[in-house]
Amino acid sequence: MPKVLTISNLRKTFIEDKRVLEVLAGISLEVGEEFISILGPSGCGKTTLLRIIAGLEKADSGEVVFHTPDKRVGFVFQSPTLLPWLTVLENVALPLRASGVRRDEAYEKARKYLSLVGLRAFEDFYPRELSGGMKQRVNIARALAVEPTLLLMDEPFSQLDPLTAESLRSEVLDLWLYGVTTVRAIIMVTHNVDEAILMSDRIVVLSPRPAKVNEIIEVNLPRPRDRRSPEFQKLEDRIYELISA
Amino acid sequence: MLLLQGLLIATALSLARMFSAYIISLLLAISVGSWMARSRAVESLLLPVLDVLQSIPILGFFPAALLLLARLLPGGLGLELAAVFLIVTSLVWNMIFGVYTSLKALDPSVYDMAEVYRLGPAARFFFIYVPACRESIIANSLVSWAGGWFFLTSAEVLSLGEEEYRLRGIGSLILDSFSREDLAGFYSGVAVLLAAILATYLLLWNPAAVTVLRLPLPGVPAVFEVVKSAVGYAWGGLAQVLTSLEVKLGVVFRLPRPIKAALLLLAAAAVAYSARGLSLEPLKEAAPVLSSFPLELAKSLPRVGLVLLLSLGLSVMIAYFAHLSRGVSMAVSIAGEVLASIPAVVWWPLLSNLALSHPLGPSVVMLIVYLQGAFWYVYFNLIVYGLASMRKDLDELAMVYRVKGLPYLRYVFVPSLLPSLATGLLSAWGGSWNASIVAEYVDIGGRTFDMQGVGSLISKAAAQGNVAALLATSLALSLFIVLVNKTLWVRLFRFIERRYGGE
Repeated sequence: MPKVLTISNLRKTFIEDKRVLEVLAGISLEVGEEFISILGPSGCGKTTLLRIIAGLEKADSGEVVFHTPDKRVGFVFQSPTLLPWLTVLENVALPLRASGVRRDEAYEKARKYLSLVGLRAFEDFYPRELSGGMKQRVNIARALAVEPTLLLMDEPFSQLDPLTAESLRSEVLDLWLYGVTTVRAIIMVTHNVDEAILMSDRIVVLSPRPAKVNEIIEVNLPRPRDRRSPEFQKLEDRIYELISA
Repeated sequence: MLLLQGLLIATALSLARMFSAYIISLLLAISVGSWMARSRAVESLLLPVLDVLQSIPILGFFPAALLLLARLLPGGLGLELAAVFLIVTSLVWNMIFGVYTSLKALDPSVYDMAEVYRLGPAARFFFIYVPACRESIIANSLVSWAGGWFFLTSAEVLSLGEEEYRLRGIGSLILDSFSREDLAGFYSGVAVLLAAILATYLLLWNPAAVTVLRLPLPGVPAVFEVVKSAVGYAWGGLAQVLTSLEVKLGVVFRLPRPIKAALLLLAAAAVAYSARGLSLEPLKEAAPVLSSFPLELAKSLPRVGLVLLLSLGLSVMIAYFAHLSRGVSMAVSIAGEVLASIPAVVWWPLLSNLALSHPLGPSVVMLIVYLQGAFWYVYFNLIVYGLASMRKDLDELAMVYRVKGLPYLRYVFVPSLLPSLATGLLSAWGGSWNASIVAEYVDIGGRTFDMQGVGSLISKAAAQGNVAALLATSLALSLFIVLVNKTLWVRLFRFIERRYGGE
């Protein structure tokens, strides 16, 4: 499998009120063309790891190296983070316009990805006129529209109601499995064990803070995965054991 | 005919001054406000400075600043600039604070988004910063615009001792007509002024507030629509050009740290230098005037207290009726906008009959002028921000359980409004000291009304051309105001925030 990204020995310490808080204690990971979930107890530093990969934060030591010529990154935020004064179309096109793409070309591309998430008909709507699930779809379309190699997702389904979350999960999986986007690897942070097994090829289980890679679990279940199958259940039990240990 | 022509030209000149001052204030507010919100160093430097600047009696420093500019620049240009500068000082502070607070309140993940997708400074400015503070800019413009008119006459007619400068404009025309005892000219001047103020609100500000803030204000949207689309086109084009330029040039717009530091240092040096120039004025003349400062302050303080109480009571009452009926709200808003804009100095001649006919007359007129400088801050804060931010569910709760009348006022209405009430009272506190300068002493048409007090002290120093005393008393008053802000108001704010701020 071609390599997309190598994360080697990332360390990060925060200093808060003179207290030293070690968050990442040397994280290393090879990322190929695959869907990886990062799983761990809350507050363990999952999001910090994701933010370092995205370039939002700097690690104290260690590095993140891309093996692809194109280093573009899409980021699906936990909350939709749409600008309320821009329409759906303008929100999706904003990163493109900011990188110098001409206006009509940016809109063209934005429309393409809005169609992929089923929101083409809502392009002239403002975020406040959309439901939570629709806003999160716009968030995903914006991340895909920059045509990234790597897609990062920070608990993307955690703020949705269970039904909406479930349908959005299968939509994201479909987009990924059919290869209709430029994305070659996905890293998703989650604290939902079920979601991680359902979606990913490998699950990286982190230890409580300071986070280390506790174990990497290959999910070899055939897709589409059946939550009620004994293999699924067995894997789920094993991961819960790992986390609560 | 000649009268009408003169009136129209004067009004046009005053309007031009107001609009240039407004545009300058807008640009200043956006650039300074967003800079403060982005840079911690700038924030910690400018926040206390602005805090002081917005609450001190600016009128006291006017004559000195004006004379300086008038002497420095040749002909009418210096005077024009000085007048615009004065109006800017009455418009800009709350606008800067509005921009700053709305950018500070922006969801931090928006900044993450801008970082992940590599939005450059220009893209951030056009797509995030400016649209994010659009609402607060419009809301503050409603208040600022009235404040600008209120001090317009002070900017157009300025005297310091024997030196007197006059700019052609509606404010100076009204005062001139009154001094010449030309009553027709005086009343038609006031009428035209009111019409001009009303027109700007009906055609521009109210439609803007309706569109952006969804406030129920009366207005005629046609003109605003034209202005809006014109500005929108220009703005969109500028955004397009600058963002693509930014991408082509790389991130050249970002100033390197040493240059930024040097700029800050230069600014600080400039401020220090001009302050040094001021302190070199002969202070000997100031000493006797300054020694009477505590006594005069004691005379003005109860007046300010009374004015604040009156402002509070009146505003809450009006807000209550406006809350009950949309029609009342519309009528009250437009009346407020016009009345608040009537220049301070016009009130004395306008009410001169009242002032002369009864022994208590002058006190009543003084109180009215005082209220002019204070009441509207409370009023606008309640009507524009307070009522709009009142929670519907609390009202419904009151309706379901039939909480009406006094219990409703006491347990639902006033507590809901307290945060905006406190903001309004703080501005009114600063505003009433500023108004004291025009309320307590006036020399018009050969008659002098001297009501004593600290405002009168400042005005008299200006009338005698005693620059040192003028600056010294203004400084002392500023010091007193800031002291009260830092001890009393801060505590009150904290208390209200804790008890009545959101959940």
